[in-house]
Amino acid sequence: MQFSEFSKICEQLEKISGRLDTIDMIASVLPSLDDDELPIFVRFLMGRIFPDWSQEKIGIGPNLVFESVAYVAGNNKSKVVKDINREGDAGTAVENILSKKEQTSFFTENPDLIEVYSDFKYLASIEGNRSQKEKLKVVRKLFANAGPLDGKYLSRLILGELRIGIGEGNIRDAIAKAFDVPAESVEHAYQAANDLGEIAAIAKKGEEELAKIRIELFRPVKMMLAKQGTIADMIEEQGAIAAEYKYDGTRFQFHKSGDLCRIYSRKLEEVTAAIPDIVEVLLKSTEHDIILDGEVIAVDDEGRPLPFQNVLRRFRRKHDVASHMENVRLVPNLFDILYLDGETLIEKTFEERRVLLERNVMSFVAPQIVSDDIKFIEAFYRESLDAGHEGIMIKSLKSAYTPGQRVRQWIKIKPSVDTIDLAVVGAEWGEGKRAHLFGSFILACQDESERLLKISKVATGFSDEALAGIYDIMKDKVISESGKVVRFEPEIVFEIGYAEIQKSTNYEAGYALRFPRFIRFRDDKGIEEIETISSIGERFRAQSEKVR
Amino acid sequence: MLKAAINTDIFKESIDVMAAMVTECRMHISPGGFSTRAVDTANVAMVSLELSAGAFSSFDATESDIGLDINKMKNIVAMMEKDDTLSLDLPEGGHKIEMSFSGYKYSIALLDVNTVRKDPNPPTINLPGKVVISGSVLYNSIKAAALVSDKIAFGIDPEKGIFYMEADGDMDHIYYELPKDDLVSFVPAEARSLFSLDYLKDLGRVMSKSDQVEIHIGMDHPVKFAFSIADGKGNVEYLLAPRIEAD
Repeated sequence: MQFSEFSKICEQLEKISGRLDTIDMIASVLPSLDDDELPIFVRFLMGRIFPDWSQEKIGIGPNLVFESVAYVAGNNKSKVVKDINREGDAGTAVENILSKKEQTSFFTENPDLIEVYSDFKYLASIEGNRSQKEKLKVVRKLFANAGPLDGKYLSRLILGELRIGIGEGNIRDAIAKAFDVPAESVEHAYQAANDLGEIAAIAKKGEEELAKIRIELFRPVKMMLAKQGTIADMIEEQGAIAAEYKYDGTRFQFHKSGDLCRIYSRKLEEVTAAIPDIVEVLLKSTEHDIILDGEVIAVDDEGRPLPFQNVLRRFRRKHDVASHMENVRLVPNLFDILYLDGETLIEKTFEERRVLLERNVMSFVAPQIVSDDIKFIEAFYRESLDAGHEGIMIKSLKSAYTPGQRVRQWIKIKPSVDTIDLAVVGAEWGEGKRAHLFGSFILACQDESERLLKISKVATGFSDEALAGIYDIMKDKVISESGKVVRFEPEIVFEIGYAEIQKSTNYEAGYALRFPRFIRFRDDKGIEEIETISSIGERFRAQSEKVR
Repeated sequence: MLKAAINTDIFKESIDVMAAMVTECRMHISPGGFSTRAVDTANVAMVSLELSAGAFSSFDATESDIGLDINKMKNIVAMMEKDDTLSLDLPEGGHKIEMSFSGYKYSIALLDVNTVRKDPNPPTINLPGKVVISGSVLYNSIKAAALVSDKIAFGIDPEKGIFYMEADGDMDHIYYELPKDDLVSFVPAEARSLFSLDYLKDLGRVMSKSDQVEIHIGMDHPVKFAFSIADGKGNVEYLLAPRIEAD
């Protein structure tokens, strides 16, 4: 498939509003693609370039895109930036600029999806001191061969802004429909393989092939996530349940094969090199080839947990790891097992997995109690808080491990603080002594198709240091600017506290936050983990019930 | 296979010709000499270079294509002394070329030919007007125009019998004309096209060393510059696509 055809499909999909029509349209295209094109097409459609488990990143910011477009169109960069600021949307601006190129060219090459993808792969591989120049060369070539519409989607794809409303659910159902396989089989295989692109190509071969997909070492799967709920409801529904401490740390996934191991963060980024102390103790804790799920916490000299920020600081560290090891002592807590010596365990019940975990891992297994007595579990909850943890997790004993799913089989119980994770999509310049920094931030939640919807602004809760730090990170993610408002590549997640959720017509989401305040930077979380509009609706209803 | 020796000045000139436009190229080696064609990343400019076996002091080669990293070559060329001899040695099917000069012996990894862009097909264009001027006059006019604008028009007024260059900035204007008597050669035809000075500055620097540059132009058409290097034993052509003239 030519990239230009892909652009046309994106354009059509953007015009379709119904979920079923969207799925039909995608399903009608998929069978025409060959095995090499399918994974790329599927990922591109979701606005992703590489598999979810992959560590590859193209590393192209707005600046490099604008410079390349300027070069190809025969404009200077400041004119391009001005056009983008006026338009507000980089994709549309690039489309306009390329439709009015002032520089002619001898030919365009109309690359196919595979050629574009191999250019992206090459971009991800470029490193070293000539890297910016080399990257510029590749991005220029991409835009030189792009028509106006191609340029629109190419720039959005590169900037992580495609968001044409094609989420995982739509793709899953489209794959099922296109290749006549059950959607559950697609979902199941996706949870293990963690790349819907690859799954599309396998689904083409049939349901039996999908059923063969297993978890593989060094190919991280998404973490299973918990919902909010109550101990009483859970016991009523499940009978006996397991309870564990809820750690105020950072989630990780440990993969080990022989003496080789890798540790992945919640965003599935490899962090092995940043935490050699954890690597060392975990390698000693088992002799098996294994994948474990757990949480790392920081502790003080008496072994009491320290706040989450201390852990993050270690996870982010690339240089000078050794000296920070002394400053912050980290301890792993292991609470699940996904893979053991070639066998995928995610379909086993939690009860069965716990037995395997205890039998095969000698240390750092997180304490657990099992009970159907609400009093007993409440006592455990208080004990957890007293020990300095965040609360408890209660888990169904019969549940499978469902990667990437936020499910009712896992419930988090913690003292009620109303906080919400939202994407930072824009900002306004500050005033006074904060005039050279971003002073307030525009926040968004997502709908079921991963479209971002603005819901609030936040301007309080920041220290001067926090604002300066945030500025450093966000300044390279600016896509456009108009007046005092800037727009960002959506990549960063804030945890925001609020007093109440209100209905509102001021924001796209239809809700607004009352008294929003910045709690912390959640750079352990990816943009796909932000709050959905439907769960905000649930929060809104729960809060009105409380009032009554 | 290639076994050859060449004057370092000629080699440097050849690398400069390519470096003005591209960072890598596919070089075709044959018993007749070197040849290559390449296009810049935006498909706006093309270069073709032919260096005959006669440009070398000794030359023995079989047919082969190699991928040359022009950036790397430019750095190595900077190490060479003037009017020295460079020996080139590439075994049959080899992936490294040996370059020896002034006691240095470099062994330089070649690019995988398949990763280098294929030779572009030269477009078929008819450029009716032609003038021949000295490279230094051409380069000076490019530099002069760059002071006020980022683009320059080349044109021929057949009635007046002049070749002219003209540049418009936001505020400023520059005009420069050469009557036919000052030109080495003049083929009149109605012609005017606009070009990006970004490209021309780089090409002009290379052409400034040439006594005679043929300029072929038309109406809103590409421009072709043709000149020789290595005492006529090498030929270069640059093609540059025009800009669209705003009203």
